[in-house]
Amino acid sequence: MVEIKNLTKFYGNNPAVQDLSFTVGDHEVLGFLGPNGAGKSTTMNMITGCLPSTSGTVLVDGYDIAKDPMEVKRRIGYLPELPPVYTDMRVRDYLMFAAGLKKVPRNERNKQVETAMERLRITDMQRRLIGNLSKGYRQRVGFAQALLGKPKFLILDEPTVGLDPTQVLEVRKLIQELAKDHTIIFSTHILSEVTAVCERVVIISKGRIRAEDTIANLEKNAGGDLKLRLKVEGEITKVTAIINSVEGVSEIEEVEFESAGVNTFTAVVASDAVRKPLMAALIAGDCMVLEVTSVRPSLEEVFVKLTAPTREDALEELGKELDAQRAAEETKAEKPEAAESEADGKEEDA
Amino acid sequence: MFSLYKKEVQSYFLSPFAYVVSALFLLVFSLSFIDGISKMDSSVLKFSFSNIFYNSFFYFIFLIPLLTMRSFAEERKSHTETLWLSAPITIPQVVFAKFLAIATVFLLMMALSLFFPLVAWLHGSVIVSNLICGYLGFFLWSLFCIAIGMLMSAFTDSPILAAVFGEAAMILVVFLDRFTQTDLIQSMPRVAKVFEWFSTQVRFGQFSQGLFSLADLVFFVSLTLVVLIWTIIVIEKRRWSRG
Repeated sequence: MVEIKNLTKFYGNNPAVQDLSFTVGDHEVLGFLGPNGAGKSTTMNMITGCLPSTSGTVLVDGYDIAKDPMEVKRRIGYLPELPPVYTDMRVRDYLMFAAGLKKVPRNERNKQVETAMERLRITDMQRRLIGNLSKGYRQRVGFAQALLGKPKFLILDEPTVGLDPTQVLEVRKLIQELAKDHTIIFSTHILSEVTAVCERVVIISKGRIRAEDTIANLEKNAGGDLKLRLKVEGEITKVTAIINSVEGVSEIEEVEFESAGVNTFTAVVASDAVRKPLMAALIAGDCMVLEVTSVRPSLEEVFVKLTAPTREDALEELGKELDAQRAAEETKAEKPEAAESEADGKEEDA
Repeated sequence: MFSLYKKEVQSYFLSPFAYVVSALFLLVFSLSFIDGISKMDSSVLKFSFSNIFYNSFFYFIFLIPLLTMRSFAEERKSHTETLWLSAPITIPQVVFAKFLAIATVFLLMMALSLFFPLVAWLHGSVIVSNLICGYLGFFLWSLFCIAIGMLMSAFTDSPILAAVFGEAAMILVVFLDRFTQTDLIQSMPRVAKVFEWFSTQVRFGQFSQGLFSLADLVFFVSLTLVVLIWTIIVIEKRRWSRG
């Protein structure tokens, strides 16, 4: 189990991560979601012990990263954002070296390296220089490195960045496979990836946790309106009037043109039950309904909503702006005098 | 720790790096050798290698930063340091493994230069005590320089800058002796004594004369350790402030 308590990191006076707390249970896949620059990599570096935290603790299986770094590091396999590969080494030599570094017993190294290469499908590449490999393969070599030493926990920092679509699918499948006997924390800013692989997500933005829940719950609690998309054949004004007349329809959000006489209406409705009277009204009004779909707020919307600047952020920004304005005005007020005195001086000199 | 040591030594020989630097080292050595032979007095029957070490001191120090410049700067530049930062290995272990690897490469280079005394010995006679102590002194002195070079490499993420800083540091070390001899320092005997204690050239000179003293050995070893510990501190510190 990985327990993260009140983790905070400052770079100088700039907070990168503030008061982060969450736990990851055994055999769980946790998606660590956030826009670029939200503090994902910083957090992962702190969990793996590459970066010390300003305050707060990380407990891995009960061991504190600050007090027992060796015990923690033995249990963790880490794939950083940029794969830590030596370009002047061959794939196999590199993996053997990494296995040694992770204190894999000598007689097991060969076997573990073979297994890792097979899992990442780089066995064919084992004699190649890493420097000659493409970005995707380098990423895989870095991934293979993280699997060495049979770590219980895998920390993957954007494992699919820079891979082509087939490779992305392969890596996702691999993560699902690995989830059987590993606990995985992986970060990404690609939402479909999270829905494909994880059960639970932690969303962070500007160094703070915005949400921590299962994907289903997030979507359910997002509080977005339920919408119906209706593709209807008929005159716009007529259809609009009919839709608006039905009880439970609060507004028509959008009308899209499809083809002559056919439009798609997006209506915000109170519940799914509105569907029936709405259809009845449209048919009664002699409009042909070609398609009906209900639209739930997607994870994307949840994400955008959660990572959008909050009220506090906005206020803080405003405060900063005002301060800057005031400062600018003050300097302006001082400057004319200075300019005048300078001019005086010049005249006197002349 | 052994894996890291092995990998470091290998990386020197996998690239043309070690070979080119060795070749340069041998070139400098052979030119000094020719110079030494040509200047030989006919009344002297035995050839002393100490002069070669002592006189070409300046050339050799330019080679060591070339060996050490990549040690930490390159790792930082190519983001490979996360590999050992996240592995169950401590930073002192990393520093010592890298130090030992460079020392090994240097030792191999020195072993190649044994060719010259061998030739001299076949065709004449060599003062053995000078030779052994000369090599020993030179090795100890270069260990100290390797430590300095690594420290400079830990300060920056550009290998070229690390090399330049390394050269500068080494020139400072060498010129400390000259500085000690100035009237200004000599007029303050207490200060002069401190400076003299730190001047490596005098101690190295004793080695090359065939004099082995425990104090000098301790001096070089302890100074090397101090610089290595400093390197460890620099890397730890950088870990705290890195982005």
